[in-house]
Amino acid sequence: MAGSLAHALRSPRVLLALAMVLGLGVCAIFAGFIAPHDPGEQNLLSILTPPAWAPDGDPSFLLGTDSLGRDVLSRLIYGARTAMLVAVFASFGAMIIGTILAHIAGYFGGAVDWIIGRLVDVWMSFPPVILSLILMVGLGVGLDRVILAIVLVDWTRFCRVLRSEVLIVRRHDYVAAARLLGFSHWQTIVREILPATLPLLITLFSLEMAIAVVVEAILSFVGLGVGPNQAAWGQMIADARQYVYQSPWNLLLPIFAIFFAVAAFNLLGDGLRRTLDVRLAQAER
Amino acid sequence: MLALEARDLTVSARIGAATVPAIRALSFQLAPGKILGLVGESGAGKTMVGRAIAQLLPPGFAITAGALLFEGEDLLTMAPARRRALLGRAIAFIPQAPMTALNPVLTIGAQFDEHLARLGLKSRNARRERAIAMLTAAHLPRAEDLLTQYPHQLSGGMCQRALIALAFAGNPRLVVADEPTTALDVTMHPPILHLIAEMQRQHGTAVIFITHDLRLAAQLCDDVIVMYAGRAVESGPARTVFATPAHPYTRCLQLANPAMSAERRTLYVLPDQMPSLVQLQHIAGCHFAPRCPLVTAECHREEPPQVAVTAVHTVTCIRAADTFGISTAGRSFGPPALLEQPLLRVENLSKHFAISRGLFGAARTVAAVNDVSFTIAENEFVALVGESGSGKSTIARLLVGLEQPSSGRIVFDGADLTTPSLRNRTRRAASLQMVFQDPQSALNPRRPIASIVTQAMEAGSRHASAEDRLKRTKELLAEMGMPADIAARLPGQLSGGQRQRINIARALCRVPKVLIADEIVSGLDVSIQAQLLSLLARLRAELGFAMLFISHDLSVVRHLCSRVLVMYRGEIVEQGPVEEVFGNPQHPHTQALLSSVPPDEPGATWPLLRAN
Amino acid sequence: MLVIVAKLVARRLLAAVPILLVVSALLFCVLRLLPVDPAAMSLPTTATIAEIEAKRREMGLDRPLPEQYLIWLSDALHGNFGRSIQFGREAGSLVAATLPATIQLAGAAMVLAAIFGLGGGLLLFHLRGTWFEAVTDIVSILLLSIPEFLWGLILLFVFGVALHALPFTGAVSPNLPQPHVTGFLLIDALLVGRLDVFASAFRHLILPALALGLAFSPAIMRVLRSSLFDVYHEDYIQQARLRGLSERQILLGHALKNAALPTLTLAGVQFGILFSGTLLVEVIYSYPGMGNLMVDAVRNADLPLIEAIGLTYCVAVLLINTVVDSLYVVLNPKLRVR
Repeated sequence: MAGSLAHALRSPRVLLALAMVLGLGVCAIFAGFIAPHDPGEQNLLSILTPPAWAPDGDPSFLLGTDSLGRDVLSRLIYGARTAMLVAVFASFGAMIIGTILAHIAGYFGGAVDWIIGRLVDVWMSFPPVILSLILMVGLGVGLDRVILAIVLVDWTRFCRVLRSEVLIVRRHDYVAAARLLGFSHWQTIVREILPATLPLLITLFSLEMAIAVVVEAILSFVGLGVGPNQAAWGQMIADARQYVYQSPWNLLLPIFAIFFAVAAFNLLGDGLRRTLDVRLAQAER
Repeated sequence: MLALEARDLTVSARIGAATVPAIRALSFQLAPGKILGLVGESGAGKTMVGRAIAQLLPPGFAITAGALLFEGEDLLTMAPARRRALLGRAIAFIPQAPMTALNPVLTIGAQFDEHLARLGLKSRNARRERAIAMLTAAHLPRAEDLLTQYPHQLSGGMCQRALIALAFAGNPRLVVADEPTTALDVTMHPPILHLIAEMQRQHGTAVIFITHDLRLAAQLCDDVIVMYAGRAVESGPARTVFATPAHPYTRCLQLANPAMSAERRTLYVLPDQMPSLVQLQHIAGCHFAPRCPLVTAECHREEPPQVAVTAVHTVTCIRAADTFGISTAGRSFGPPALLEQPLLRVENLSKHFAISRGLFGAARTVAAVNDVSFTIAENEFVALVGESGSGKSTIARLLVGLEQPSSGRIVFDGADLTTPSLRNRTRRAASLQMVFQDPQSALNPRRPIASIVTQAMEAGSRHASAEDRLKRTKELLAEMGMPADIAARLPGQLSGGQRQRINIARALCRVPKVLIADEIVSGLDVSIQAQLLSLLARLRAELGFAMLFISHDLSVVRHLCSRVLVMYRGEIVEQGPVEEVFGNPQHPHTQALLSSVPPDEPGATWPLLRAN
Repeated sequence: MLVIVAKLVARRLLAAVPILLVVSALLFCVLRLLPVDPAAMSLPTTATIAEIEAKRREMGLDRPLPEQYLIWLSDALHGNFGRSIQFGREAGSLVAATLPATIQLAGAAMVLAAIFGLGGGLLLFHLRGTWFEAVTDIVSILLLSIPEFLWGLILLFVFGVALHALPFTGAVSPNLPQPHVTGFLLIDALLVGRLDVFASAFRHLILPALALGLAFSPAIMRVLRSSLFDVYHEDYIQQARLRGLSERQILLGHALKNAALPTLTLAGVQFGILFSGTLLVEVIYSYPGMGNLMVDAVRNADLPLIEAIGLTYCVAVLLINTVVDSLYVVLNPKLRVR
């Protein structure tokens, strides 16, 4: 595993993606130091100013201001913090639940597999957007609620894909051999199966971060996201839509930010998939 | 005019910056209506010859010199469109794996229709008639129904018959058959070979027959070329070459193959293995010199010339005169004392699998193993033979506890092991181990060798110390005749034969009393097989374990085991000492299995192939 | 063949019934756990506590949860999902009024996604081994990173705001009449013979359908390409070459039929998600479909409406899966004949 990770780090695609992710990570962690303004600070005297290089630009607002006179650059940087928090914690939670259930279902098979399989079926018949909206109605707005909603919606992605991988690994004779040598079920899963599914797990985790960024943006866009007091890219888009003629920059910048983050995680996932040699027909998205 | 002639054909592979010849200056002549055998172990370059004819070489390989004349026309310089026009019409191919060589989503009829349309049959009805005629000629019953069926509904043998019919549909002048029976069950070999020979005679076709089986080549081919590491080491009329082999490699291969008749003898063990293309770069002189028993200093200096033994028999060796001196000692197999108290006793063992038929269909069951009883004594090697699907592997899985029997008992050393309790599992782990068929699947590719062979020491709650495990690794590797520096490597870095030794070593870590070995030498080359069989005989003497040896290869069974159980459709239909069962088979299936093996003597006739 | 497919469809639909029951129960429970009181919400703010209590009894809210669910379920089976709190109309009729617009949008988007996906996949496969391969590969990943709601905004900005090329609000120009026969605007316009209405509705459909089609095609593209790669490693392709078939015959006659199977599996999942993806696109383009209704309902915690729409989306997904599974069986003889 360590060897193949080192191999992955030599791929230019993975390196580029890691650089992009690192950039986002720095923005998220050091938002307070990097952002020139407080993201909530309103300057009602300078609303909808264009970026600094435009004719009417104000050099103190590098990327201009929004309809309430808030600094767009600062809001983008704090929006990155929101997006990254959601991406990391939601993906991690979905991964834990999905992975545990997938390994139990795939390894033991039989009735356990059947029950988990039907559970996934029920979940998958809810379109993810609809399910997360309904959950947000139930949970209410807030960063932690968004994370919880994504975990509750997306654990099936891990479970479905990993379960079929576990089934493939389980067919290998070395798994049977481990049992014959006296390994317990727990030892067999942890020492023989998990190492084999780990590359797929890492790849899925990376792709899930991309999905989490999108879902957070969607929820914030329809006003059921992290709440009005926290800067989020989806919210910026929703605000800017009403002033698209006066200030197209306000719309385009958060769109680009979302694209950048999603592309970074997708590139990372794809690079890992190639270098870690992961079979992933079903999990392209 | 010759059907096919190769003149100094050279195929090279790119390895890094270097080019290494995978086939070196191969020349042969094949007359119309004759069968030419290309014989050798894997890596010899046999398959590459077939691919060179179609010019469909794997990536990185290219034909770099020579000529390949089909009826006087050079296939290598021919326009691609002209060559493609010949394929399927004048030149046809019979594949190695029939089950995967037919498109799974098209019916047999559709695949025939497409091919016959390409051959120029205009009307749909004419194509249908022709397809039925060809399938019937290939001895496939109910050809009309067959046309509407899909490949997965056919057995491997039926698929191969359909592919042979497809190959001969265009009345080809040359057919390349690449190991056409290797993927099939033993009893399917004679009828398929018979069909190829029959079609070949009817159509007057020249055939290139690629095989690893010396005895088979002697029976089927007019001429043979024995290949080693890309070179033709010996060529001539098939029976002459195998009756009086002149190259040490041919002789050693024959002696490494266990005999079906005559006295049992020790096998000739060729050291090491066929050099890979990477290793080939560094071998000067004769390619076989590093493994040759007759090697002299001169062999390493320059490539040996081609020497004529007789007018038609040539050999590429300077020591051909001494080849016949290579021999192995006769060996007495002391019959193991049949103890009154058997070590392992299996009583009326059955295993039924449920085939569920959807939500509403009634569940049916099939008996994979039906009322099977046998015993194994201490230090005894017992063979379990039968075709694929006969239930051999299920018995193995029942014995080691990977499956639970539907009924019956498994008694080991006086204790009942049938129920899957923790206590029984622990007992099994200590005294009953299994070696799996495919080391690729049986060895975790992420564990280093040292961790694999001593994996038994990390089971359960007690963990052996790193020093203990290292010590045991060294002992086991030494016992397997492997260098200690292999311990840190991963399975992917070993050769097939080495992996199978590691596979055995892991099962022997805690010195079990019984070893279950499931087809552990099938799929290996003859020289590697001989190494493993000798190793098993030595380990038995040193460690004193008993073995249930599951195999479909009767000559291997005859060499290694003292008693044999013949399985057919889930039941043991015949059992007894090997000499008795093989000498005087009672059950029709045992008889069929035995007659499927070509005779040892190149001059002998094989009734099944010649019969009409 | 028809019998087999019909049997399969029947079996799948039957299997969908328990799933739908569980789904509806989950939906019901999640929404009942809300800290909102449907009784209080359906009354004017001036209502007294006693009035609210009376309303609670009338709505059955004082009974245990399982009983409430059974009441709701039996009503729902009769098409009665209760009254929308904000609109005061039957939730079922609101769904019925908006569903055709959403189906029309999703249908158009699926056609576009399939065309782009198959065309792009073949193109990507055709470019294998060339210098373009790495470029197209990166591009396809970047395309994969633009979800439907970003496409919606980008297209709206480029073709609507910047170029003024296409309309981007509503389903038809506000000054034109909206004929109502089947509910499907494009069909109805033709039925009443108003070509101007048809043209306007068509132009209004282009951007939202394109946004969805572009968002869902890259995944299909990539799966088709990788399936073709896999198929070309199979023995039967090599064997077809050895029979002298041309590369064109091999691709069309042999490879594509096999590569279609994994592609179809993925497309089934994708189309299920696409159907719900209409929600955001409808919001962005103010398209009068079920998605806009849902967002309204969600923002106002309009429980009967949320339940009705949520269930409708689930039924749509299950139907799409059934269709795709049946197609899969038609294409895969291993599942059809034993």
